[in-house]
Amino acid sequence: MNSDHNILEHLSRREMLKNVSSGFGYLALAGMCAEAAKTDPLAPKTPHFAPKAKRVIFFCMRGGPSHVDTFDYKPQLKVDAGKPGLGRRGTSSRAKLMPSPWQFAPHGQNGLQISELFPHLAKHADKLCMLNGMHTDLPNHPQAFVKMHTGNSQFVRPSLGAWTLYGLGTENKNLPGFIVLSPQTGFGGAQNYGSAFLPAIYQATPIRGSRSGSGQVSNIRNPRLPSANQRIQLDLVQSLNQGQLEKDKVNPDIEGVIESFELAFRMQNEVPQLMDVNKEPDHIQQAYGLKNRATQTFGRQCLLARRMAESGVRFIELNSGNWDQHRDLNNALERNCHGIDQPIAALLADLEERDMLKDTLLIWGGEFGRTPHAQNGDGRDHNNRGYTMWMAGGGVKGGIAHGSTDEYGYAAVEGKVHIHDWHATILHLLGLNHKRLTFNYAGRDFRLTDVHGNVIKEILA
Amino acid sequence: MTKRLNYSFILLFCGCFLLSKVNGFSDEPSAEGLAFFEKKIRPVLIGHCYKCHSANSEKIRGELLVDTRAGLLKGGESGHAIVPKNLEGSLLIEAIRYEDEDLAMPPNKKLPASVIADFEKWIMMGAPDPRDGTGPIEKPNWEKAKNHWAFKAPAKPALPEVVQPEWSRTDIDRFIFSKLEEQSLKPAKYADRRTLIRRLFFDLNGVPPTPEEVEDFVADKNPQAYSKLVDRLLASESFGERWGRHWLDVARYAESSGKETNLAYPHAWRYRDYVIDSFNADKPYNQFISEQIAGDLMPARDDQHRSELMTATGFLALGPKSHNERSRMQFAVDMVDEQIETLSRSMMGLTIACARCHDHKFDPIPQSEYYSMAGILYNTETHFGTIQGPGNRHSSKLLNLPTETTNSFGRTLTATERARLEKELADSKKARDQLVAQARRERQDGSGDIQRTLFRTRVANSRVSDITEKLSGYNKNGQSIPRAMGVRDRGFVRETRVLERGEINQPGEKVGRGFVSIVNPDFKPFFNRRGSGRRQMAEWIVSPGNPLTSRVMVNRIWNHLFGQGLVRSMDNFGSTGEAPSHPKLLDHLAIQFVNQGWSVKKMIRQIVLSRTYRMASNYDSANFQADPENRYLWRVSKRRLDAESIRDAMLSTSGLLNWEKPRGSLVAKAGNGQVNRSRNLQPKNLIQTFDHRSVFLPIVRDLVPPSLDLFDYAEPSLVTGKRDVTTVPSQALYLMNDPFVLRASDNMARRISEEASSPEQRVRLAYQLAYGRQPNNREINSTRQFFERWQAEQKKQTSSRATSNRVSAWSSFCQALLCSAEFRYLN
Repeated sequence: MNSDHNILEHLSRREMLKNVSSGFGYLALAGMCAEAAKTDPLAPKTPHFAPKAKRVIFFCMRGGPSHVDTFDYKPQLKVDAGKPGLGRRGTSSRAKLMPSPWQFAPHGQNGLQISELFPHLAKHADKLCMLNGMHTDLPNHPQAFVKMHTGNSQFVRPSLGAWTLYGLGTENKNLPGFIVLSPQTGFGGAQNYGSAFLPAIYQATPIRGSRSGSGQVSNIRNPRLPSANQRIQLDLVQSLNQGQLEKDKVNPDIEGVIESFELAFRMQNEVPQLMDVNKEPDHIQQAYGLKNRATQTFGRQCLLARRMAESGVRFIELNSGNWDQHRDLNNALERNCHGIDQPIAALLADLEERDMLKDTLLIWGGEFGRTPHAQNGDGRDHNNRGYTMWMAGGGVKGGIAHGSTDEYGYAAVEGKVHIHDWHATILHLLGLNHKRLTFNYAGRDFRLTDVHGNVIKEILA
Repeated sequence: MTKRLNYSFILLFCGCFLLSKVNGFSDEPSAEGLAFFEKKIRPVLIGHCYKCHSANSEKIRGELLVDTRAGLLKGGESGHAIVPKNLEGSLLIEAIRYEDEDLAMPPNKKLPASVIADFEKWIMMGAPDPRDGTGPIEKPNWEKAKNHWAFKAPAKPALPEVVQPEWSRTDIDRFIFSKLEEQSLKPAKYADRRTLIRRLFFDLNGVPPTPEEVEDFVADKNPQAYSKLVDRLLASESFGERWGRHWLDVARYAESSGKETNLAYPHAWRYRDYVIDSFNADKPYNQFISEQIAGDLMPARDDQHRSELMTATGFLALGPKSHNERSRMQFAVDMVDEQIETLSRSMMGLTIACARCHDHKFDPIPQSEYYSMAGILYNTETHFGTIQGPGNRHSSKLLNLPTETTNSFGRTLTATERARLEKELADSKKARDQLVAQARRERQDGSGDIQRTLFRTRVANSRVSDITEKLSGYNKNGQSIPRAMGVRDRGFVRETRVLERGEINQPGEKVGRGFVSIVNPDFKPFFNRRGSGRRQMAEWIVSPGNPLTSRVMVNRIWNHLFGQGLVRSMDNFGSTGEAPSHPKLLDHLAIQFVNQGWSVKKMIRQIVLSRTYRMASNYDSANFQADPENRYLWRVSKRRLDAESIRDAMLSTSGLLNWEKPRGSLVAKAGNGQVNRSRNLQPKNLIQTFDHRSVFLPIVRDLVPPSLDLFDYAEPSLVTGKRDVTTVPSQALYLMNDPFVLRASDNMARRISEEASSPEQRVRLAYQLAYGRQPNNREINSTRQFFERWQAEQKKQTSSRATSNRVSAWSSFCQALLCSAEFRYLN
């Protein structure tokens, strides 16, 4: 701020703030947002290059879903069923290879192999981009889960969503830019959604209890004041703030306070409605599986995600768990898949119908996959060396399978995608160069991908 | 593709010769060229070369990386892998042709002739390659860094000449004012007494003054009034509660392990109290930090002192840990790494941990020196407690203190309670033994679900350990044995090896114990075969030759009093840190700090008595244009209060504040277990009605109380020299709607109705309580309007439909004051 021009701009802004605090003009604030961009860390920012996706919806599958039973078809497992599998370090183990108990079939124009566990999703095969060559560093839940979210399991680092918000800002000033539904409390907890050394404002706003249908943002309602009374109270607050601002002449902090209170007041109106999925028409609720016990939990999350995406939220993370099937794969995995299949398919269809699929990036996956050999009868153990995640929507090719694992599904062999590559690609789709998206902390420029990461060019549409 | 080559010299020569050509290669690669690369070249590189020659390789062979364009051009040990448009100069071609036995690549099988032809064609096309990246890691250039200002000892500066000497009250002022003159900036006038007392109270004690204290100070005509107030605040118990908390930020203090499993550390609070007490006692800072590294190795006067010294080492034990890590060794080296990171950044502003996997990229710290320091901590036992069980593969004993520390948490175990625990112990042992037997049976005859039984055995076992731990916390008479987290020596020393790339399965050369030589190169420690060397480490950090320790601390003090440090990169004084705004002043203060016996209180006193500290915070447009960030201190910056002060101010303004020091901590009461999982460690146990000062709130990693978390509390897993200051709507929602704020407002309304009789007096008292001043006319008017509008609204509502839970207008008015910006900003 070193020219008269800026000061003038500043003064006119103060005039507007004055109107705000007089009690009638607070709606005029909406128009001020563009001006606030200079100091507002959440204001929309120009990406490094033209983005393919404007927002992200991440279906986070905690526990490590089995790839060989869902999206990575391994006919050889059937042939060699019962033969010894491989141990932890590639040595042969006493554990026996176990073919998937479910049938696979080709779907869509390109004949993408999907197991019968996902009948609804399979109808959208042409939208899916399978990443069959995923791999990560450790076969331990917490480390792998944190690695997936922050790129580093050894140190506390900002999460993928926080980096996204830091890079792009947000589009709806009435809502937080990074929201996580039913966040995980273990496995690194808030660290998975945190901002670490990035400014605290970039961390996710967690919305808990959205399973039960009562999920709300903390302190979103005053437990005892009607809105009209609160407005009267807020007008006094703003008048006091305005007085302070006039005394101080120039004080961006106080301006920030005035604006944040107006936004909070508006959020009180917008957020409860946003969270109220009962307003959705019956057929929509039906489609997302809200009327069905098995699918309503995740269905509600998916429906909320669409409403948030529509409202301009930048990064939305949904959670489903537990996918850690060391035993009882037959029942447990089927139950899990059933719980998410219809809701995700409904979201894909809904976004397409609203023409939002083209610029919404959907990501599905867990922290690792599972072994092709059996454990405890019909379970599978952790496998970090090869597994599957998928993407759909904004900027990725549909109906393709990128990369592959060996004949049994132990390790990725072709088109290998490490978590760092996955991060680099997500940022790329959002118009951000993962090498240029840096933040200086403790004396060096940090980035999500540390010194790693390659964009998977092969999957870009 | 680079094996022992005798003619590498020749190739190097070729390389130099060709370098100009390479650099001159500026044509943008054509689309066809890139397509050719993608189709024919990249897949072969990935399929046959990346395993040993990419950044992700487990071990990079021959220092050659082929996963970036730069890597290929630069080549490895043997020389350039490729030279565009030059087949003879491209070692890669020679290698894949299998022309030289030593060089033949890929090692297992020669590539098909068609692929080799593709590579030749590609080289002749100019080797188009879209892959960005830096290629091989460059050796860091340390020459410049060696001359970095912070690695040189502070030099006593001459006091600067100033044109207007009358402006300066103290030496500090002369340094500040000479810079201001240099920059043609005009210093602000003195702040008025009302502003000053509020500033001093929050800065020194973290709470607001009462209206009486303000009026007394304003009315006091004694010229010594200000310095007397300073001395009073420095002597108050609240001083340690405020300044101790500043240290807890850089000591990443917390009462749980954080990370994946987040286990409670129910004994961590003793370290918190140790820090508070140390600041209140004005313990010399060099002694304070030495105790935290090697207190257990220092002579003690008596049992009380011994307990204090042992508790101090909790500093090293309470970092975040991956208790679920499978490898014992990995757990150990990660813990030591965290200790090095914390102690080096908090005490010396040095990022030594950057040298764990390779030489430090920017500061002259070789990897071997990292391991020399690590060797000291590898030979130290860290005691952090916890119970082994599901989610926890690493537990340790705690330190038994010889006697209770200042804040007695002691409780007694009655005979009945003991009997109950002993019975529980017997029962759980029995249950465990049964499971062990069952598992043995199942293993023998293959019946049942052995995995499940083993898991249940682990659960049963942790139950036994839990009760055993509980019982062991009391002596025969049922009195609790005070215990603490901390460290001690093992009594013998094992050799240390460098871990190549920081990996535990890649031990390299042996290193002796020692320190980072760029800091204090004359310090020559002697290590014996029995002690870990922590005493020497403490001596090294606080020895007069260490140029960092005193500077870093005076800079921290300055930051807490002015809102920004002289060096703004608080925890990084290395070559990537920021240069000081007033280098001479920094050295002056650092030298004085040491000369005054490392007294924190004296340093604070000296600074707050300066005219610089007592300036007003008024805006000045000319100054603002020239120096908007106020780097040169033409005024005192306006600051938002930190989270603790905001909460404590609400408690004290409303009359709710409980000034007593609570016993232990809510985490200590909850005991061992996994946060959020164990029944005793649910948020409702940890975040409850608690009206003590905020420094005593339970600090559980990933479950920081919202009243602190929302206002940019220090992330308790990281060294935090300077907190963020954000202004986000979730703070506004909290202030408008949170039950804590509503309760404080109700209580404040009650308080003003009790302490003042007429409505006008009540309004005036409320303003005095909240702001330390009378309301002005405009504020009186707004307040009147508020009450009128409120009344009208109430009437409207009563006529339409009855409101059952009517809130008093007075409470709502008080809340408005608590919500307003002035309440949480300092002028």
